[in-house]
Amino acid sequence: MGTNSRDLQAFRQTVTATAGSLISPFADGNLPSSYHNAMTDITRELRKPTLQQKLFTFNSKTPSELVRSKLSTQEIRYRAVTFLPDEVLHDIPDAENTYSLFQGFQASLPEPETKKKGKKGPKAITDSNGSSSEVDEPETMTGLESDRAKLTHRLEMLGIRKNMASSEIRDIDMKIANLNAMRNIVLNRLASLEEEESQTEHEIVEVDNKIEDLRYDMAEGLVPGNMTDTGSDGSTPSGDNTFMSDSIYKKLPSPKSRKHRPYKRISMPILHEHFEPGTNIKELQTHNDSITALDFDVPFGTLVTAAFDDTVRVWDLNNGRCLGLLEGHNASVRCLQVEDNFVATGSMDATVRIWDLSRAEHYRAGESEENANDHVNLSDCGVHTLEAHVAEITALHFQGDTLISGSADKTLRQWDLQAGRCVQTLDVLWAAAQNSMVPSSDTSRWGASTGRGGDSKADFIGAVQCFDAALACGTADGMVRLWDLRSGQVHRSLVGHTGPVTCLQFDDVHLVTGSLDRSIRIWDLRTGSIFDVYGYENPVTAMQFDARRIVSAAGQNVVKIYDKTDGRHWDCGAGVNEGKGAVVEKVRIQDGYLVEGRKDGVVGVWAC
Amino acid sequence: MSSEYLPYAVDADSPMKESELAVLRRQFESEGAYVGVQTKFNYAWGLIKSEKRLDQQLGVRYLTEIFKQYPERRRECVYYLALGNYKLGNYSEARRYNELLLDKEPANLQARSLQQLIDDKVTKEGMLGVAIVSGVTLVTGVVAAALWKGLQRKR
Repeated sequence: MGTNSRDLQAFRQTVTATAGSLISPFADGNLPSSYHNAMTDITRELRKPTLQQKLFTFNSKTPSELVRSKLSTQEIRYRAVTFLPDEVLHDIPDAENTYSLFQGFQASLPEPETKKKGKKGPKAITDSNGSSSEVDEPETMTGLESDRAKLTHRLEMLGIRKNMASSEIRDIDMKIANLNAMRNIVLNRLASLEEEESQTEHEIVEVDNKIEDLRYDMAEGLVPGNMTDTGSDGSTPSGDNTFMSDSIYKKLPSPKSRKHRPYKRISMPILHEHFEPGTNIKELQTHNDSITALDFDVPFGTLVTAAFDDTVRVWDLNNGRCLGLLEGHNASVRCLQVEDNFVATGSMDATVRIWDLSRAEHYRAGESEENANDHVNLSDCGVHTLEAHVAEITALHFQGDTLISGSADKTLRQWDLQAGRCVQTLDVLWAAAQNSMVPSSDTSRWGASTGRGGDSKADFIGAVQCFDAALACGTADGMVRLWDLRSGQVHRSLVGHTGPVTCLQFDDVHLVTGSLDRSIRIWDLRTGSIFDVYGYENPVTAMQFDARRIVSAAGQNVVKIYDKTDGRHWDCGAGVNEGKGAVVEKVRIQDGYLVEGRKDGVVGVWAC
Repeated sequence: MSSEYLPYAVDADSPMKESELAVLRRQFESEGAYVGVQTKFNYAWGLIKSEKRLDQQLGVRYLTEIFKQYPERRRECVYYLALGNYKLGNYSEARRYNELLLDKEPANLQARSLQQLIDDKVTKEGMLGVAIVSGVTLVTGVVAAALWKGLQRKR
């Protein structure tokens, strides 16, 4: 049966061929297997007179081959695919391989006998150990010898397999290296694309503004002459530039407050998401003094920094240029927040100022000019000045039209940003007294906290955050109070920290707080219980979290990062790998884009 | 070492079981675009061992790819290309590859035996070709003669 099918097979193969191939299967058709076929080929070979061989070997192609290669399209296609030109063919390097492909092939074939061997192995060993059966010795010897041969073969195969695995790993390593190189190339491409993107967006905004201006002018009837000119001359609308060149026109300080479209990024930068965690994106020397507060709107967006040198600066994170200064406060700014175009700054002069960056004439548009922006005053951005507190502002947070400020006068104030008025004052001490069962212990508590810190640095209100009617504030007594803004009451106090709370942030499930007691606490908002705690060697001065990481500044030259997804703690910043850098004071993060401000006024931007 | 290094032509003539070949194919397909050289070779060799001409052609194709892709495997590959082409009946190609290998390794037993096999096949086909040609001539001669006779008879 086997031979029959093989014959048929061979027959089918050579239908297109000459009689030569037609006859050959019949010639050795009576032989039982293909294996024997080949064997007879060899033996016949040996018997054949060499003269006969020589007679035909000068033929480059046998008849059957000739016919096939010329007639069948499939064959022709096959030849085209498998053809190797001589220069490739002769380029054979002398390479040492630890195993041949055929050995690899053999080694990767499943071994049907393995199980048997496994059974035999131990048996053989017991036989050799059991010296009781002296009679079976010669039989056992041969058995053992064959076993030994088998085992040797197996050992060989194992060696080959090992080599295969190791060379495969080397292969993969090479591929990974290649892929990494490719990734870098694409990453660079992405970086340049994003740069171009942001430039184009700026251009769009500029053009939009120009259009707006022109329309405004036309509506006001300020340029009727130009309009008639363009009408009669039939020149292009840009003809009004003949009156004044475009560049001068742009520089004209417009006396009336034109409403420019607020600048807002259309596209989302994603570059930082593709950086290796811990990669430095940028480093800016923002101030010459210690950073007291910083915040940014979006990755690669706008950064606002404040330092002890009493200045507040606005930066473009894309190119690292200073866009100007926010001037107005009489003392240094202790806290600030950036949201879209709005900036809120709380200062030691007891005022909170609200700024709208889109109001700045030179903001963005002036970017293409020189670095002269360093001294551009953006004070025309000021929207409101909130004055009511009687001591320095130490914490603030705004969301929507509600701003909450915390001050050293031991009160919290709620402001309506639309009207710029204070709508509620929350007395923390009064609330503490209300909630506390024994007033006397309460006062000692305050005393203890200030005593423990031993430093005047600890702000009475270290941090606030509000969301709708919910407000959380962390104070110097180590307490975190959750307020309801509708009733103005504390509805829960979280007790745990043993030092002043310096920072806090909450989302819909958790509240995270950092304290001078060197710990970060994660609270469960629903139950008010502690969800997780971890500590550092130094007091925590700043902390923020995004979807994945909790980043904090803890008196070191690195930012401490806790990865919530895999529970990993790691460091990021200039101090990693024995690097040098000043102590990190403040830190902010958004979608893996980390910005940290240091004691020497340097701001570092990192991907993590 | 050398005797284990390469298979003899006989090995190429013993087809694998369909299931075994399927295992190799699955492995090959599962590795996709980043297939390792060994996996590719295993499948190619399995294909060459097959009895189906299409399989054999595919096998030679993969071997050609290996040859192009992995310079360090070229020396081995030449032998398999020769063997594959021998099985396919492309004796001139087979000889081209095999002679190249013999050039590099004159003492290679496997290559020498393959050379003999190729020579033998070529000789056999050549003989048959001569036989056919002479047979055809004979037949035409007879027919012509018959026709000639017939024509003569008609006259």
